[in-house]
Amino acid sequence: MFINFIKTAFRYLIKRKTYSLINLIGLAIGIASFILIMIYVMDELGYDRHHERAEDIYRMAQIYDFEGVGENSASLPFPVAFTLKDEYPGIVENICRIFNFQAPRSLIEYGEQKFNERRFFFADSTYFEIFRHKFIQGDPETALDEINAVVITASSAKKYFGDEDPMGKILKFEEVAPLKVSGVIEDVPGQSHFIFDFMGSMASVKSVYGGRLPPTWVWNPCWTYMLLAKGANPEMLEEKFPEFIEKYFYDAEKDNITLYLQALTDIHLESRLDYEIAQNNNKSYIYILTSIAVFLLVIAGINFMNLSTATSGKRAREIGIKKAIGVSKRRLIFQFLGESLILTYISLILAIIIVELTIPSFNTFTGKNFDLAILLQPQYIIGLILLGLFIGLFSGLYPAFYLSAFRPLNMLKGDHGLMQNSGFGRKVLVVIQFTISIALIIGTMVVFNQLNYLKNADLGFKKENIMLIPVNRTPVASSYNAFSKELLLDSRILNVTAMDDILGGAHNTHEFRPEGLPEDKWQFYPAMVVMWNFVETFNIKILAGRNYKEKNKSDPVTGMLINEAMVKHMGWRSNEDAIGKKFRSLNGEERVIGVINNFHVTSLHAAAGPFVLNMKEKPREITWFLKYVAIKYQAGKEQEVIDLVNKVWMNYAPSRPFEYSFLDQELRKLYDDEDNLSLLSMIFTFLILLIAGLGIFGLVSFMAEKRTKEIGIRKVLGAETLHIILLLSVEFFWLIIIASGFAWIISWLLITDWLNHFAYRISLNWLIFLASALIAMLLALIITTLKAWFASKADPVDTIKYE
Amino acid sequence: MIKTENLSKIFRTDEVETTALDEVSFEVKQGEFVAIMGPSGCGKSTLLNILGLLDNPSGGDYYFNDKEVSTFSERQRAKLRKKNIGFVFQSFNLIDELNVQENVELPLIYLGMPASQRRKRVEEVLEKMQIIHRRKHFPMQLSGGQQQRVAVARAVIANPHLILADEPTGNLDSANGEEVMNLLESLNNEGTTIIIVTHSQRDAEYAQRIVRLFDGQIITENIK
Repeated sequence: MFINFIKTAFRYLIKRKTYSLINLIGLAIGIASFILIMIYVMDELGYDRHHERAEDIYRMAQIYDFEGVGENSASLPFPVAFTLKDEYPGIVENICRIFNFQAPRSLIEYGEQKFNERRFFFADSTYFEIFRHKFIQGDPETALDEINAVVITASSAKKYFGDEDPMGKILKFEEVAPLKVSGVIEDVPGQSHFIFDFMGSMASVKSVYGGRLPPTWVWNPCWTYMLLAKGANPEMLEEKFPEFIEKYFYDAEKDNITLYLQALTDIHLESRLDYEIAQNNNKSYIYILTSIAVFLLVIAGINFMNLSTATSGKRAREIGIKKAIGVSKRRLIFQFLGESLILTYISLILAIIIVELTIPSFNTFTGKNFDLAILLQPQYIIGLILLGLFIGLFSGLYPAFYLSAFRPLNMLKGDHGLMQNSGFGRKVLVVIQFTISIALIIGTMVVFNQLNYLKNADLGFKKENIMLIPVNRTPVASSYNAFSKELLLDSRILNVTAMDDILGGAHNTHEFRPEGLPEDKWQFYPAMVVMWNFVETFNIKILAGRNYKEKNKSDPVTGMLINEAMVKHMGWRSNEDAIGKKFRSLNGEERVIGVINNFHVTSLHAAAGPFVLNMKEKPREITWFLKYVAIKYQAGKEQEVIDLVNKVWMNYAPSRPFEYSFLDQELRKLYDDEDNLSLLSMIFTFLILLIAGLGIFGLVSFMAEKRTKEIGIRKVLGAETLHIILLLSVEFFWLIIIASGFAWIISWLLITDWLNHFAYRISLNWLIFLASALIAMLLALIITTLKAWFASKADPVDTIKYE
Repeated sequence: MIKTENLSKIFRTDEVETTALDEVSFEVKQGEFVAIMGPSGCGKSTLLNILGLLDNPSGGDYYFNDKEVSTFSERQRAKLRKKNIGFVFQSFNLIDELNVQENVELPLIYLGMPASQRRKRVEEVLEKMQIIHRRKHFPMQLSGGQQQRVAVARAVIANPHLILADEPTGNLDSANGEEVMNLLESLNNEGTTIIIVTHSQRDAEYAQRIVRLFDGQIITENIK
C-alpha cells in the first residue's frame, strides 16, 4: 500500500515535470534562504548565553542628562562597582569592572615581537567568577589576584609564544608594565558582545595611578557587570539606585544622573549606548530578516497551493475513479498530503545542498563563520524535520481538501464544478504573493536609498583624504608639535591636527560650568579635545568670531570653540552674541572665541547637538587626550603619504608599530549594520521575486493550458500573438494593481517607522512606490509574454476541437 | 475561388505515420454551396482545416483566390483568414466567458474596426439571425440551436466570401438543425460561398455539389 502510494506520487510528480520543477525549485530556494537566515538569526539571538547563569548577569549603565545634553554611558566611575556591592550584598552577589584606559589599542611586546592589541582589557579578580570562561591553564579563582597578572586566550598564546608554555611568561604592556601570564583560556566565543584577547588584573592599574584606583565619581571609564543573587531581580536593585546616587554621587551631578541595568543577553541586539565596548547589532534588523525568511516560505508555499489547485482538473479523473471504487475521502487527503510532504522533503534536501554551496558567500556578507555542520546539531535536525512537516502540511492542506471534495460522477465526466470557485482563492493567494513582493521591493529600495543618503550626507566637515594614525600613549603624542611640523614640510601634506576621538565616529563629554551657574553646578557637554589646525583640516566653517591662532599663546588654555547648536542650547541671541562668553573648565576659565557650524560627531542615527572644542596645554594632558593624529593630504597620493608618515613615525616612535586608517573608511563602518541589511534584503528580495516569478510562470502556463481552446478559437477568428499576450496578462495586471495598493499602505507604515529611527532620513519618494509596482508588472509581463508567445504559436487546429 | 492540386497531409507521431489526405484535387467556385461527406476518419476535417487556412498541407498546391498559399506562415494565413473566411463548428466553439454580443463582435475587434461601427454591425447581424433578444446572455444560458445561430452570426459578421462549416448540425436536434441549414442557404443565396463537412444526407441536400472522401481520397463528385 505504502509503496504503491510512493510510486503513484513519484509518477505523478514526473508526469507534470514543469509544475513539479517549479514547486521544487521554488521551495528549495525558499527553504535554503530560510535556513541561512535562521542560522544567522539564531546566532544573533544566542549572544552571551554560553555563560553559566547568563540570565543573572547585568551591566550597569548611567545617564548624564543636563537639560537634554549629556550622555547615556555604558561605563561607570571606578568606585561605583564595589560601593554598590557593599551596599546591597543580598542583591548583588558579585561584581566586576572592565577598563582599558579608554585607549583604542595597547602596545604589547614579547621579546622582538610587538603588536598593537585592540582587545586588551583589565578587570577585577572577580571577572572569571562572573563570566565562566574555560581555562586551559591556570586557576580562574586566582588568575587575576596578583598585580601585573594577565590571562590570555589560546590564540594570543600561540601568536606570542608559539609552542612554548605561556604560563609565567612576561608580556610588556605599553613599554612600562611587565605582565605575567597567569592563565590561558579558550578563545572568547564569537557570540559575545565583549571579546578580549588579554585580560590584565585590575591591581596592575593601581600602580599607574599611584597605588590606588581613581576615586572620582565623575570620570566613568569602567564597564561594570554584576551577578545578581539567586532570587534577586533587577527591578529590586534599580529601585535602590536613587538612594544610592543620593548617598554617594557628588552634589553637583546627583540631580542629573540616572543608573539602570541591562540584561547581559540583551546587550548585543538592544544596546546602543555611548562608549560601548564594541558596536552592537540592531534588533529590528533581526526582525526584518526573520520576516523576510518567513515571507520566502509563504511565497514558495503559495506557489505550491496555487499550482496544485489550478492543475487539479487534470487529476479529476483519477480522483473520480478512486472515489467510485470506494476510496475514502480521508485516504485521499492523506494521499495528497503525502505527495506534498514528499515534494517538500525533496526540496529540503535540495535546499541543504544549496545552503552548503552558498554558505561561504553568506559568511562573507555577514562577517560570520558558519559551517554546514551546525545543521547536524540535534535542535537543527529536529527543526528541519519539523520545518518540512510544517511546509508540507501548510502548502498541502488546502489542495488536499480541495481535491478530495470533488464529486466522483462529475469528475468522471471531466466536470468537477469547483474549478470556478477556486479561481477566487488563487487570486487571493496571488495578491498575497505580490503584496509581499512589492512591499519588499519598496523596503529594499528605501533601505538602499537611506544608506546612500547616510554615506553621502553632508557631515558638516570633509572626511575625504584624511589619514588617521592612533598615537595614544606613544612618543608621537608627547612630541606632537615637532611631529606635525615635520610632516608639514612635505608639500603633499596639506594639514595636520590631532584629537581625542575619531571625528564623526565618537566623542566624549567634558565638564564645563557656564557663566552665571552656581560654583558646584558642572555640566557635561559633548566635546572634543583638539590641536591646532583642526578647523582647517576638516574644512569646518567659522560662523562668528575666530579660529585658534598659534601665535595666540593663551588659546590652548582659555579659548574654546562651540557650535551653533550650543549657542541655541545656551539661549544666546546670535552667534556673535556668544563670542566672549565665559565657561569654567578643568583648564580654568575659558572664553568662547568662535562659533562653528554644526557637524556630525557621531553616526547619523543621532541628531547633531551642542558641541564644544577645546585644547589642552599641559604636556601630561596632551599625552592623555591626543589619541589620533589626522593628516589631510593631496588627493590621490595615499601610498606616498603612507610611506612618508611611516618614515617620520620611525623618527619619533621607532619602538612602536606604525598603524593608520582613513577617515572615510572608518566612518563607513558606522553603517555596517545597514550595509549588511541592505545587501541581505536585496539578495533575498531578488530571491522572493524569483520564486514569485516561478509561481506566475506556473499559473500562466496553467491558464494558457486551460484556455487552450479559447486561444484557439480567438486565433481562428483572427487574434494575433499580441492579443493572446494581453488576454493572459490582463488578469495579473489587475491583481498587481490590487496588491500594489495593499503593499503601498503596509510598506508606508513600516518604512516610516523604520526611518524615524534615524535623526537624518530621506523623505519617502512616491516614485519608489510607483517603481515597485512597475517592477512587479514588468516581471509578470515578461513571464506571461514568454508563455503567451509559446501558447499562441500552437496551431489552433490542434486546440479548438479538444477540451 | 478555391483550387487544390494533389493536396496531401501526413500526420506523424513517434511511431505512426497516418496519411489523412492523399493527393486531393478539387475546386470550388465563387458562390457555390459544397458538401464534403465521408465516414469518420476519412480526412474531411483535415481538408476543411487546410481549406480554412488553419493548417498547411504536407504536399501539393492550394490556390486561394488564385494565390498559392500552401507555404504561407501562420501570420500570413491569419491575415487572409480574418478577412475572407468565417467558421462554424459542430461544438459551436463560443467563448464561455463572453456574452452573445461579445462573442459575435470578436472578429471585428481583430480586424481593428472602431467600436461604434462594431456595435452597429453586431446589431444588424444579431437581428438577422433572430438572436438579438439574447444579446446579453452567456453561451451556457442558450439552447444548442441558439448557440449555433450565434456561431453563424460570428462567422458572417466580417462579411467573409467563404463560410466553412464543420458538422454544423451535429450537436443539434432536427428542428434546430434545419434552421441553421436554412440560414446557411440564405447566406449562399446572397452570394457567400459555403463549404460544409457533414455526415447527414439531409444537410448535404442543401448543397449544389457533394464531394465524397474515403481514406483521404475523393471518390465521387456529384453535381446535382
